[in-house]
Amino acid sequence: MRVLWLRLGLLAALLAVWEVAGRAANPLLAVPPSAVLPALRDLLLLRSYPELPASLWLTLREIGAAYMLAVAAGLGCGFMLGMHRLVGRVWGPMLAALYAVPAVVWYPSLMLFFGLEAASKIAFGFLLGFFPITLAVLAGVRQVNPQLVTVAHAYGAGAVTVFRRVMLPSMLFTLVGGLRTGLALCVIGVIVGEILGSKAGIGTLINHAYGLLRTADYVALVLVTLVLVVGSDVLASLLERRAQRWTE
Amino acid sequence: MQVRVLQLVTVLAALVSWEVVARAGWVDPLFVPAPSAVARALLRIGGTAFAGLGDTLGKTAVAYALSVTLGVSAGVVVGSVRLLRDVMSPYVIALYGIPKILVLPWIVLLLGYGTTPAVVYGALHGLFPIMVLVMGAVRDVDRTLVTVARSFGATTWQLYWKVLLPAIVPSVLAGMRLGIMFCLLGVLVVEMFAGVRGMGYVMGSLANGFQAPELFAATGLVSAASIAIVLALDHLNDKLSHWRG
Amino acid sequence: MTAARGELIAIEGVTKRYLTSSGPVEALHDVSLSVGEGDFCTLIGPSGCGKSTLLGMLGGLVAPDEGRLLVDGQPVTTPDPRRVATVFQDAGLFPWRTALQNVEFGLELQGVPAARRRRTASELLGPLGLSGFAEKYPRELSGGMKQRVAIGRALAIDAKILLMDEPFGALDEQTRVLMGEWLLDIWRRTLKTVIFVTHSLHEALFLSTRVAVMTARPGRIKSMLELSMEYPRSMESPEMAALRAKLWSEIREESLRAMR
Ligand SMILES: Nc1ncnc2c1ncn2[C@@H]1O[C@H](COP(=O)(O)OP(=O)(O)O)[C@@H](O)[C@H]1O
Ligand SMILES: [Mg+2]
Repeated sequence: MRVLWLRLGLLAALLAVWEVAGRAANPLLAVPPSAVLPALRDLLLLRSYPELPASLWLTLREIGAAYMLAVAAGLGCGFMLGMHRLVGRVWGPMLAALYAVPAVVWYPSLMLFFGLEAASKIAFGFLLGFFPITLAVLAGVRQVNPQLVTVAHAYGAGAVTVFRRVMLPSMLFTLVGGLRTGLALCVIGVIVGEILGSKAGIGTLINHAYGLLRTADYVALVLVTLVLVVGSDVLASLLERRAQRWTE
Repeated sequence: MQVRVLQLVTVLAALVSWEVVARAGWVDPLFVPAPSAVARALLRIGGTAFAGLGDTLGKTAVAYALSVTLGVSAGVVVGSVRLLRDVMSPYVIALYGIPKILVLPWIVLLLGYGTTPAVVYGALHGLFPIMVLVMGAVRDVDRTLVTVARSFGATTWQLYWKVLLPAIVPSVLAGMRLGIMFCLLGVLVVEMFAGVRGMGYVMGSLANGFQAPELFAATGLVSAASIAIVLALDHLNDKLSHWRG
Repeated sequence: MTAARGELIAIEGVTKRYLTSSGPVEALHDVSLSVGEGDFCTLIGPSGCGKSTLLGMLGGLVAPDEGRLLVDGQPVTTPDPRRVATVFQDAGLFPWRTALQNVEFGLELQGVPAARRRRTASELLGPLGLSGFAEKYPRELSGGMKQRVAIGRALAIDAKILLMDEPFGALDEQTRVLMGEWLLDIWRRTLKTVIFVTHSLHEALFLSTRVAVMTARPGRIKSMLELSMEYPRSMESPEMAALRAKLWSEIREESLRAMR
């Protein structure tokens, strides 16, 4: 209880400092919360950026496409690497090494390849989401106790039954965790892609506001984007909890 | 051993088939140049690329030093003081999770183009993963060890130096491994977004100029550098955490 | 028997309550106990009756709510490693320190120069039966070895009083018996005053000069058994069998109450 109040107090204190500092500073560089609120209102009423809904919708579709691709490819690759011991031992470490490369390294090539339109954002979001999902599947498959599989086979269970009744439950936790991380990274990937270079989408609006030094609009757009980010994670965590209940 | 050979075979097979596909003209060489063309491009831009890489790694080193110092000390302080931890941890975790790119325009607005925003943004990027890991590690230090040290008369100072810090070494190293990737990523992003130098800037220009072979060469160079750095950290990790077995 | 030479530890009317989420729990109620210098005093009683709490208070780690504890006539307020050393149930070794470095730990905290503390610790390893294991890390040691390192760490600081909280509780039966014999030997050579917690009747009867049986929670001293037989004791004698039966009936009664 006390902790909760202290948390709120900390937040309030930060906002107060921001307000005071924002009023004192150059209005092009910093805007106090009191100036953000009108900007946010104008944004939500579609006065400052009437294209906001279309932009958000585009960004959402990019995220959706990137995530679907990442899940499909991640599950496929993960199971392939996990089920075949040799393949896993050869390609697993190579994949992990590639994961150690900061993903933005690939972004210029993707832009060259796919252009400034949605495709390059989808590709980049996909790339970011793909690795954690694949690695989670790989880790999950390795968690499955091989004795359980042997026992199930001994009781005459077929491959599908073994997968559904033995493997899936024991790896679900890791798998779902990977899917959640994957979604978060897809979202980040698409947003990063849009900000680094795009013609449409929420990132374009952010760049536009920043480029014209409309700082209050910029902050308001960032807040809207944060809602999208947090919302997607809340959704994922709900699914995660469902999956946990399902295993129990 | 066999695994190593097969890995080598994989890489060679990929390169050869890529070369064949490119030479046969099945793909547009404007977008997908053959490995041999990439190799030649590397020779051509070698000087620029290495200078850019050096610049990027220099900024990354400063950003990294900052984020490790700040991340570890803040993680230890927040992690070891119960009230501070309870109040702060949701914020720290939230800050870790949100895309830092959203504040990048503001940082550039504030600090301009060049080295400073890259260092600041890189440090910001690396700070939170390190802090989150260290905080968790401090929280999870075996209570028995703290009790033992207290019963032997340890002062607060000794509790930190002789128990807490050694106990979190593996997590600090794991954080440092994550942190270097995040720092490098942050620096490259700033260079692409608002750079005048550095590998991110070089790659961005090459992409805008449709110089695919040179771009691929530069990409390969940065990737190799970051893999080498991470492998070196892994090696260090093995050496320093030997007691974990 | 090592003759007791005057009172060293006095526990006077100590009560301890813990605040838990389900209300206050009285762990100890009005416990008084006096231990003489050179005694080997064993506390035995059902789980949760406050034995660890009592040792924690003697070690200065836990403060009593009522009453007081005196060592050498002075009240215990904070850990005082010059007078009291503790061995915990799960050895509590520092995993990043070798066996030798673990034994050195207390001396290091006291600022003893490296060369001297290294010598002290090395000399202890022989009697601890760890001669070849100085450079091993805890994960490379067996359970019995770990516990001996923990005992070595407590012996190294050369405090008069040794508090041992179920030190052999995690060991298998055979190792336990051997460790008991080894501890007896150490105690008779070092002349420490030991307060020892155990669930083992065998250990209590084999080692102690006195056995305090505690009641189920809230813990009290139910009865005190003075053992005056010579060491090393034969555990098969009729006298021992009678003592064992007597001790068991008292503990059994309390354990049954604790289970209810
Ligand atoms: N730090 C604590 N907080 C709350 N309750 C505690 C704490 N330590 C011990 N207790 C409670 O006090 C009682 C006595 O504990 P303890 O001294 O560990 O008993 P023993 O060592 O005899 O098993 C138990 O019921 C235990 O749950
Ligand atoms: Mg206990």
